[in-house]
Amino acid sequence: MVRAYKHEHIYRHPWDRVTTAAWRKFTDPDTPNFLSHVVDVHTLQRRLDPAAGRLQATRSITVRSPPLPFILRRILGQEAVVCHCVETTVVDARDRSMEIVIRNASLRGLIEVEERSTYRPHPERPEGWTAFQQETRIRCKPLSALAAVAEKVEHRCAERFMQNSAKGREFVERICKYLEADAAASKISC
Amino acid sequence: MGSNKTMSKGGGVIASPCAQLRATYHDCFNRWYSEKFSKGQWDKEECIAEWDKYRACLEQYLEDKHLRHALLEADSSPYFVKDGAGSSNSVNT
Repeated sequence: MVRAYKHEHIYRHPWDRVTTAAWRKFTDPDTPNFLSHVVDVHTLQRRLDPAAGRLQATRSITVRSPPLPFILRRILGQEAVVCHCVETTVVDARDRSMEIVIRNASLRGLIEVEERSTYRPHPERPEGWTAFQQETRIRCKPLSALAAVAEKVEHRCAERFMQNSAKGREFVERICKYLEADAAASKISC
Repeated sequence: MGSNKTMSKGGGVIASPCAQLRATYHDCFNRWYSEKFSKGQWDKEECIAEWDKYRACLEQYLEDKHLRHALLEADSSPYFVKDGAGSSNSVNT
């Protein structure tokens, strides 16, 4: 069974600042305080097309799962598991679009999560605002012997994933405010 | 966080020998992205030396099989192949 979620948000900050903040979301010194489920991040690959102004990068994001249901805790012998996700990002600086796809690379026998996000200048105020759209699809793999448990795991994962997505959006907002203050301060000191 | 591993700046549990190289690369990337690329200066890539050192470290120390697979199957060339194919996953090395 697939659960699909959509979310939209307007950042009242220009596109270049919001996408800068989005890159920093998982690697900021404050990340452990705001996104405690994120355990580790690595950049695996990056590529620039200097003629087209396109940047592409692949990163690994390692997260801690939500606390597992009791029966899975018994089976696995641990409270939670670590899950590796792979994030692919394409930024088109000419068109000012940033597209991110995150999928889990481990635990795919149990669950498949795909989150697609885009950042584009907001059509009403393209120089000042950024439109954010996000679509998440979560599918639990059918395990006939554990079908009822699988449904519970999926529901709990979906809830936690949505909470973490909301935290991620708030953290990007926070980084934007910091960057805005930074930009203003350097204007004054000039 | 209830475990015996601690997160340093920018995270740092897996492939921790690479943590400093990662931090150096991410700092360079964030600066280049925010000051140049996102503002229209996309014709010149920077942070290449930092990237090369960081990636070489990952190749040596990244142990998780899922991540190694993603690392090694990605084309490590920093530039798109200019053949108009537009595919970002080109030659497997």
